[in-house]
Amino acid sequence: MKAFAHFNAASVEEAVSLLQRYDGKAQVIAGGTDLLGKMKDRILPGYPEALVNIKTIPGLDGIAEKDGLLKVGTLAILEDIAHHPVVREKYSALAQAARRTASPHLREMGTLGGNITQDIRCWYYRNPNNRFPCLRKGGGRCYALAGDNRYHSIFGGSVPEGCVAVHPSDTAPALIALGAKVLTSQRSMAIDEFFQVGVAKTTVLEGHEVVTGVEIPQPAPGSKSAFIKFAFRKSIDFPIVNCAALVQTQGGKVAQARICLNAVFPKPYRAVAAEEAIRGKKLNQANADKAGEAAVAEAEPLSHNAYMVTAAKALVSRALLACSG
Amino acid sequence: MSKDTSKFLCPYCAETFGSFDELAAHALAQHKGEPEPRPEGMIHLTVNGQEFDIQVQPQWTLNYVVHDLLGFTSPKMFCDRGACGSCTVIMEGRPILSCMSLAIECDGQSIETAEGVAQAKHPLIDAYVKHHTMQCGYCTPGFVTTAKALLDKNPDPSLDDIKEALGGNLCRCGTYPQHPKAILEAAAELRKDQGEGQNG
Amino acid sequence: MASTEKQRAREMLDNLRFDKYPIPKERIKSIGDREVRRLDGVEKASGKANYTMDVQLPGMLHMRFLTSPHPHAAIKSMDTSKAEALPGVRAVLRYDDPEIQQEEDLGGHGVSPRLPIPLVAHFQGEECGVAIAADSEEIVDEALRLVEVQWEQRPFVLDPLEALASGAPIANPEDFPESNLEVYYEAGRGDVEEGFAESDVVLEFASRRDLHTYVSPERACGVWRWNGDYPEVWCKQQRPHIVKRAVASWFGGIPMNRIELHILYQGASFGGWSQFGWNLAGNYCSAVISRRTNRPVKWSFTRREDFYGGSMDYGAHQYKVGAKKDGTILAVKAESVYANPMWGGQGPVLHLEECTNIPHLYGKRSLAIVNKGPCTAVRCEQLPNTHTLTLVFDHVAGELGLDPIDVALKNDGVHGHDMAWASEEKMKMGFPQTDSLRECIKSGKKAVAWDKKWHKPGTKKLSNGRMHGLGFTWNHEWEDSAGSGEIAMRLERNDGTLRILGMRCDNGVNAETAYCQVAADEMGMKIEDVFYRPHVDTGFFTQTPDSSTNMSVNGFAVRHASRMLKERILKAACAPRAETQRGSYPAFFPDCTPEDLDIADSAIFVKMDPSRRLTLAEFVGPAGDEGPLCFYELYGHERTPFSEPMFSYSYHVQVGAYKGGIRPRFIRQAHFMEVEVDTGTGEISITKVANVNDVGKAINPMACEGQMYGGTYMGIGRALWEEVVHDPVTGVMLNGNLLDYKIATIDDCGPIDTILKESQLGFGPYGLAGIGEDVPTMIPALLGPAVYNAIGVWIDDYPITPQRVLKALGKI
Ligand SMILES: Cc1cc2nc3c(=O)[nH]c(=O)nc-3n(C[C@H](O)[C@H](O)[C@H](O)COP(=O)(O)OP(=O)(O)OC[C@H]3O[C@@H](n4cnc5c(N)ncnc54)[C@H](O)[C@@H]3O)c2cc1C
Ligand code: SF4
Ligand code: FES
Ligand code: FES
Repeated sequence: MKAFAHFNAASVEEAVSLLQRYDGKAQVIAGGTDLLGKMKDRILPGYPEALVNIKTIPGLDGIAEKDGLLKVGTLAILEDIAHHPVVREKYSALAQAARRTASPHLREMGTLGGNITQDIRCWYYRNPNNRFPCLRKGGGRCYALAGDNRYHSIFGGSVPEGCVAVHPSDTAPALIALGAKVLTSQRSMAIDEFFQVGVAKTTVLEGHEVVTGVEIPQPAPGSKSAFIKFAFRKSIDFPIVNCAALVQTQGGKVAQARICLNAVFPKPYRAVAAEEAIRGKKLNQANADKAGEAAVAEAEPLSHNAYMVTAAKALVSRALLACSG
Repeated sequence: MSKDTSKFLCPYCAETFGSFDELAAHALAQHKGEPEPRPEGMIHLTVNGQEFDIQVQPQWTLNYVVHDLLGFTSPKMFCDRGACGSCTVIMEGRPILSCMSLAIECDGQSIETAEGVAQAKHPLIDAYVKHHTMQCGYCTPGFVTTAKALLDKNPDPSLDDIKEALGGNLCRCGTYPQHPKAILEAAAELRKDQGEGQNG
Repeated sequence: MASTEKQRAREMLDNLRFDKYPIPKERIKSIGDREVRRLDGVEKASGKANYTMDVQLPGMLHMRFLTSPHPHAAIKSMDTSKAEALPGVRAVLRYDDPEIQQEEDLGGHGVSPRLPIPLVAHFQGEECGVAIAADSEEIVDEALRLVEVQWEQRPFVLDPLEALASGAPIANPEDFPESNLEVYYEAGRGDVEEGFAESDVVLEFASRRDLHTYVSPERACGVWRWNGDYPEVWCKQQRPHIVKRAVASWFGGIPMNRIELHILYQGASFGGWSQFGWNLAGNYCSAVISRRTNRPVKWSFTRREDFYGGSMDYGAHQYKVGAKKDGTILAVKAESVYANPMWGGQGPVLHLEECTNIPHLYGKRSLAIVNKGPCTAVRCEQLPNTHTLTLVFDHVAGELGLDPIDVALKNDGVHGHDMAWASEEKMKMGFPQTDSLRECIKSGKKAVAWDKKWHKPGTKKLSNGRMHGLGFTWNHEWEDSAGSGEIAMRLERNDGTLRILGMRCDNGVNAETAYCQVAADEMGMKIEDVFYRPHVDTGFFTQTPDSSTNMSVNGFAVRHASRMLKERILKAACAPRAETQRGSYPAFFPDCTPEDLDIADSAIFVKMDPSRRLTLAEFVGPAGDEGPLCFYELYGHERTPFSEPMFSYSYHVQVGAYKGGIRPRFIRQAHFMEVEVDTGTGEISITKVANVNDVGKAINPMACEGQMYGGTYMGIGRALWEEVVHDPVTGVMLNGNLLDYKIATIDDCGPIDTILKESQLGFGPYGLAGIGEDVPTMIPALLGPAVYNAIGVWIDDYPITPQRVLKALGKI
């Protein structure tokens, strides 16, 4: 790797001030499993001058339920989230998502904050040495559109840039389904507002803003959540499509449902049409399938990824059914 | 590295100052009584019980330091991108990837490699040999450390536990089915040893 | 040699008929023993085994090449001044350097002269233009970025079929200026048109195999150091003899005996770079730089560069098959196009020629040049054949609604003859009468409950909603084809242990342990007293795994050398021992003839009176100070026991099916695969695999099983996902890493049954045949029939991805 300066931050404030000092030329490093891969391959035209290590900040790795909220620090390790008894019991979608993320080793290193803040995986974008200076790097075009887009968006490009790279995170859809809030060094926001497509950017975070954790409201009584991932290999692989759902049933019918797909659009894709389709219905195969169809009704697959539409449809239905009983 | 050398950097907290006097004043005011700062990039690392003080550069990975500089050849570089597990070492009880860790962030840590597992006469090694749990052997130390971390945490793993734990270890020679056999046997051996230890 | 002795040696090595000199049963102790420990086990498990990538020498430089960003481009000009100025850069070796403008032998199957640093790149990622050495890999990486190149980009073609279409850009005008068709070969027998005319059904189908590769865990690399005028070379290479041959031809010629070569443990290659004609360019350039800088130089390819070499079954096939209603196949016509093969390889119908009685066969293979990396035999060059055999048989069964096992048995044969003919041949050649295929099928059917579980295609939905499928295929085993090997062995002084010597590399197949087992039982030694670590500098050329033959060639050489050594030992034990300046030493067993003696448990004993025994350690006597050269006797000590150096060597030249005429193959393999297909996502889960391998005789059963497991996992990766993807627009490789190129993980396959059959129908010693290449080569195409059985639709393009499944199902 090319050289850079390195700082161990002792507090969030120190991390913020270091980031400010470097004015966009420094990067936060948490588990490093995403960031270091990018730096090794030199995928971006620029290269960080400094890394600010936040693992040295105490108190950011907690997982605890308090005041009707599950609070998870940004440094919480995915493997710990996956096996945490409270998360497994009440926030199943998150535990399941964490458990299906990457590989055991990456889960022992990767943090929740890093997982939702990670960069896209488009293989043009990630080709070493900035071989494809595409839209997402401030360049003039998208190479995936005319190229091999088998892992790209089925719901069109992002507005206004036109990038069709998908958001790769496994935990993001779970957090969205569970209605989480993201807390940062300067604000808190609903997680649906956290993701934003920009040049070398997947979130709304400002250059010197640090995620500190997420808060998840306790699911209402009668709720169940689930996460389903479809990937090529049983381990290591990013999702081809994943889906998380939170379903509240009352009197045998669906009162509320939050459904989120990921890896199908530049941002996590809230399947609002599917939520509407299932609301007030019994949770059975036929209704779940209809919700699946509704979820992909607007899909516009590219030249190589029509299969993802079929898979997304199946996953919505399965995630819903996994919330029954 | 583009560190501004015209500025004076506080060795305790990395804050910069325009002159030496300002820096000195700051150091006295803020950091008096703190232990003396070590030279930048100096880390203390324990590998298989051996202690090292070593000067590292920020961009050096743990793999580079442990394998290339300290000469523990077991953490092998296969993918160099976190996708194969062959560079696994054990740190704080967790099996972690040395290719995706910065050495400078491992200051004060204790690390165990496959050499260390063997040195400690862990029954895994013998079980691995017995079950032919290797072909070319390049990935094997990464499996051994992963398995060791699993057994430390879970002395009685099921077949599924083992398969889940090894999900991040790639073996191109395809030795996979032999690992659970060896690990289950080593686990039984360990429990036997411990049982004996308790009785005696 | 006296003529009878000569005759005897010839017979001992005779592999044209069944092994005439089987080892008596009571002597078999370690052959077939599951408890025998691997020689390399502890070293590898503890991480102490060293590989070329681990080599660190004082003052060592690191070297890498510039690679082309374009799939087809020539360097117009190149400015390396910035790289040269970078601190820590020690040498910049350019394509226009006088020392590298001459073609050199850079390895490969035959002598393959190439420029060590080419000026034109014929695929994206090709090493060209310049090699740079610096104090660290980090600095090299930086320096390579500072090289400024003016490229003249040329038109390129990526797809083999497009490459052969008229008007396609010429992919490699330097070597093939006329067209992208390098050459084509035809093979077969009979007259296929006649066969089609006699057939009840004629089916036609096409199949594709996308580009896949070997993925060696250790990258291609090497280290060069000059010791005075003589080179010392560490190399990751499966074929030490090729490195030595090549190195000896460089720099005006270096005598073979001055070259010190180290082939350490290897992070497997499966054929890989070892076969390519510029694998050694790294060594060549390291040598030049090492001499100029006076420092050792390590070169390596990056992980991504390792992805540019491919497997030579990459291409497309067109099949036409004629059969009778009862499943008798009358004619097969296969026309195949393969991309960028490094050598001709075998046509698509070779296996049909060898192990069926199909009367009419025609195979044509055309070799097309495209702007992707070179392709070679990657475990193994028979892939096109196994692909063809599986698809032909299973398509016929599918078309006629027959059980594929019945179709296999109906057409099983030997070189166009039926099994009755084969029986007669077996009799003549002294082989047992076993019907290998029937035996394999019997075991395999039981393992997968075939009779209960096999069903008509597309008819079985499981309770989890998935479709269930069961597939079957079969073949002969070809690991007995050709090659030669030399082995030497020596009893060590002091402890009388046996060391086997051979110029070999370790690829992990554990043949070394098997050689020890053979030597131990043949010699009458304890297995722990026998050891084999490859010794490259012995010069005894040993057939290595990439050349596809271990036991069937080297096994003979080991066995023969053991028998000769034993003979020598017994002779020496009866005769007055070595003559030295200090006189001769009395015989150990003066009253015996060699026939009266034998060896067991590493000791010589008198057969009639086993209490009279002498350990081999006592027999060979001590070395050094305690040995015969000492002066103890001058002071009245007894003479220490001593015998002349005990050494033997042997060689074996395999007369194969490919060379030296037809040798009927009697041994068979059967493979079964059970799958579940998720029709919602197109996901295929392989829930069970049963491999039934008739290995003739299993010397080391654990190693055989290792090959069956390993081959299965490699095979399912190839079947399900493995594909090197290039951007169609720019020709740039998109997935040159271990995340995007997907090899199987532990959880990607259900239980694997490893059933070994020991029919003794092989042409190796003890009637054995090999195993390493069969499984990974048979498993990929087997997924097709299994999925067909599940969903009732054929998918003939590989890998069989979810996308292809959903398409076949009409869902997209
Ligand atoms: C082989 C491989 C397979 C993978 N598979 C998956 C998968 O299946 N599913 C999946 O979801 N992910 C996968 N990942 C991606 C990723 O590595 C992990 O998901 C992990 O959770 C990222 O966390 P981290 O702490 O290591 O992130 P880092 O690499 O440390 O950080 C990632 C990014 O987030 C920023 N960042 C991190 N924390 C903060 C913070 N608190 N505030 C502001 N910015 C921050 C960093 O600056 C960086 O840009 C995979 C990665 C690899 C290498
Ligand atoms: S999809 Fe986005 S990231 Fe990928 S090439 Fe197009 S613009 Fe770049
Ligand atoms: S080398 Fe570190 S994970 Fe592959
Ligand atoms: S033993 Fe060769 S890669 Fe695992």
